[in-house]
Amino acid sequence: MYAAELVGVTKRFGPVLANDGIDLAVARGEVHAVVGENGAGKSTLMSILYGLHRPDAGEVRRDGTRIALRSPADAIRHGLGMVHQRFRLFPGLTVAENIVIGAEPVRRGRLDRAAANEAVAALSERYGLRADPSALVGGLPVGVRQRVEILRALYRHAEVLILDEPTAVLTPGETDRLFEVLRTVAATGVSILLVTHKLAEVLAVGDRVTVLRQGRVTGRFATSETDADELVNAMIGRSLAPSAPRRARPPEGDPLLEVRDLTVRDADGVARLSGVSFAVRPGEIVGLAGVAGSGQRELVDSVTGLRGAVPGVFLAGTPVRAGRDPRVAYVPEDRHGRGTAPDMSVAENVLMGAQRDLASRWSLPRAAVRARARDLVDRFSISAASVDVPIGTLSGGNAQKAVLARELTRPSQVVVAEEPTQGVDVGVRERVHDLLRTARDEGAAILLQSSELTELRDLADRILVLYEGRVVAEFPGDAPETDIGRAMTGATG
Amino acid sequence: MSAPVVARRVVASAPVVAVAGALLLTTLVMLVVGVDPTLAYPALVRGALLDGNLEYTVAAFVPTLGMALAFALPLRAGEFNLGGDGQLAMGGVTAAAVALLVPLPPGVAVVLPLAFGALAGGLVAVVAAPLSTRLGIPAIVSTLLVSAPAVSLASYLVRFPLAEPNTGLAQTPALPEAAHLPALGGSGYLTIGLPLIVVLTALWLYANGRTVLGYEIRATGRNREFARYGGVGVDRVAALALAGGGAFAGLAGALIVLGPPHRFVDGALTAPGYTFTAVAAVLLAGARPVVVPLAVALLTFLQVGGQGMEREAGVPSQLTQIVQGLIIVIVAVLATLRARRAR
Ligand SMILES: Nc1ncnc2c1ncn2[C@@H]1O[C@H](COP(=O)(O)OP(=O)(O)OP(=O)(O)O)[C@@H](O)[C@H]1O
Ligand SMILES: [Mg+2]
Repeated sequence: MYAAELVGVTKRFGPVLANDGIDLAVARGEVHAVVGENGAGKSTLMSILYGLHRPDAGEVRRDGTRIALRSPADAIRHGLGMVHQRFRLFPGLTVAENIVIGAEPVRRGRLDRAAANEAVAALSERYGLRADPSALVGGLPVGVRQRVEILRALYRHAEVLILDEPTAVLTPGETDRLFEVLRTVAATGVSILLVTHKLAEVLAVGDRVTVLRQGRVTGRFATSETDADELVNAMIGRSLAPSAPRRARPPEGDPLLEVRDLTVRDADGVARLSGVSFAVRPGEIVGLAGVAGSGQRELVDSVTGLRGAVPGVFLAGTPVRAGRDPRVAYVPEDRHGRGTAPDMSVAENVLMGAQRDLASRWSLPRAAVRARARDLVDRFSISAASVDVPIGTLSGGNAQKAVLARELTRPSQVVVAEEPTQGVDVGVRERVHDLLRTARDEGAAILLQSSELTELRDLADRILVLYEGRVVAEFPGDAPETDIGRAMTGATG
Repeated sequence: MSAPVVARRVVASAPVVAVAGALLLTTLVMLVVGVDPTLAYPALVRGALLDGNLEYTVAAFVPTLGMALAFALPLRAGEFNLGGDGQLAMGGVTAAAVALLVPLPPGVAVVLPLAFGALAGGLVAVVAAPLSTRLGIPAIVSTLLVSAPAVSLASYLVRFPLAEPNTGLAQTPALPEAAHLPALGGSGYLTIGLPLIVVLTALWLYANGRTVLGYEIRATGRNREFARYGGVGVDRVAALALAGGGAFAGLAGALIVLGPPHRFVDGALTAPGYTFTAVAAVLLAGARPVVVPLAVALLTFLQVGGQGMEREAGVPSQLTQIVQGLIIVIVAVLATLRARRAR
């Protein structure tokens, strides 16, 4: 008998068949990975299991019996828990309060804080998930917040835990810790469904893996009997091309982007960046490594002009202009918060920045806007029902391709890319890397920030390591990961 | 899309469901309190459309549409302009002052007060902008905060510096003939205010959908961080949208004052509740700007018809306010349901 089963699940969104007769079964205490291309239907399937979407056909079973899920509340009642990629925590409440919310211990009609703290402490003890019950969630790093989400599900007695791309927002160290936690939790008999794009993770932590492609199951494997190649084949129907040669020609010429002794302070006067200097020449990719919060945000915002005309940043020799310097193409990390307006159409999203070029004196012709969008959709092979659908309905990879399409077609010589392959599948990742390499070969100066060292090593000519707002080390692009990793922790020498 | 599909969509759309639901509930209320709906509804229709009442309805439609734009325009940029009353009153009193104090040749005597009224409304609205961008007070609060003193200032101006001498009434003297809005046809109530507001509405719809500024306003409203990242000066755009909204309110005030009875009477602009009706109409129209004029027409019809119903069938006109309230409640409920429904 399986802890949870999806049987013959079919789900349509208008013309899109997101799930097409999917069967998936998870045993008790198993870590079950779900992989597949962007838009393969992974999130849809998980949402059905968690009561967020209702299937058009098929059913959900728990311990062999069919259950009806009308809402997440039903799912919680049946012992299902979900860790959302965008956390649903209250930053102003403590860890314990966030965890017990909805099922608080009460004393005389009020939250029994002591009991809550105690219960949470016991829970974190039991599963080895360290988190201070009385800390405010707002001040916690992402990895710890995620732990709080997991604890919240466990507090409500989840026996099946769904995690949709939990590692997309984590640093390598946090990811390792998450996996330890998942193994501990699974050992207590909880089943875990893990959606991810990173095949190394699947092989590291999963017991079994189900591969989806275009809404159908195209492979079921025990991780001990498969490898990355076989999974990629099941996912995209071919193998990945061997990674491209490092470069077409050596970087030359005057720097297009230059940062000189840049110091940035936050509102409280605390230095977030101190004395940062580097230059990126045409045809060069400079990687930016560092644990989250080491000053990457401030550096990128300074270079793009979003922090105003900060002294010390020069584009092609002249100071950066305040309020998004048009000379910079910028692929932001936060795709929904910054990179797109999710409920505006694909056409209106890829228009941003080019609206004045398309406009005649008195009007912004819709036909031109849509024609341009269609052209980009074709050229970057973005799959969307039409350019008029809200961009928020596109799968993560397609939305990311749309952002890249918009930014890389700007007439800019400087490209800043933050986590450009976060949440995208292996095929799109290959494509994104190709696009960045092409831009480089055409003479762009690229600053690439990524928490994935493999990505930096694949693409970058040089890698700078940020630690507490300073550049503490610089490596050639092919330096060993362990050396870079050490520098990221601030260890010197 | 085939015609039947379109028809089905329209019938199932939120405004239609809301209005139908509200009428149904109102009928129930009538039955409960012992009013005969077969008398009340004809009285409503007559009160709004027949017996020469149509021109009152149209006369009320003009400022209500102006106020609806005053709310809808900033809303596109994500700013709630609840300060319509202050902008309306200041627009009205400014128009009256210009018409009374500046001797002007015909033509200009109408245009200039209208322009200054719009300007005054825009200025009152734009005061709220720095409060929200600098101090972080959301426009929904700051516009409201500015509104009350603006209404009082208008009231002061009409009671003292601009008051009609020797009458003790809180009103300005009648405006000079040249400043009266030219009438359409023989009617005193139908003025060029109607075509003016219709043209301005059309311009707004055009600007909203098909200009760079309209696009930047919408992007700012949908996701401010996205717009900022894209290089849009979001604070400027938001202020501009508020100013535009305020200008519509000010213009509405000016149109009222330059129309019959051709003077600024203290309280006459704010008492009919144009601002609230306009907010209700915009909410009823939901996210679709083209529907705004229709929703305004419908609510104005109910408002004016309600007074007829009171006169004729003895039904308290508050009943139509209940209808309005119900419509908003139903719109809100439908929006919540739609958000919750697993799509
Ligand atoms: N609410 C929705 N409305 C319309 N279409 C949707 C909706 N949600 C998902 N889709 C479509 O269904 C398909 C499957 O999407 P889903 O989000 O499940 O993919 P995914 O495998 O999770 O992709 P990713 O790896 O990018 O997260 C896609 O084509 C997507 O555009
Ligand atoms: Mg997904």
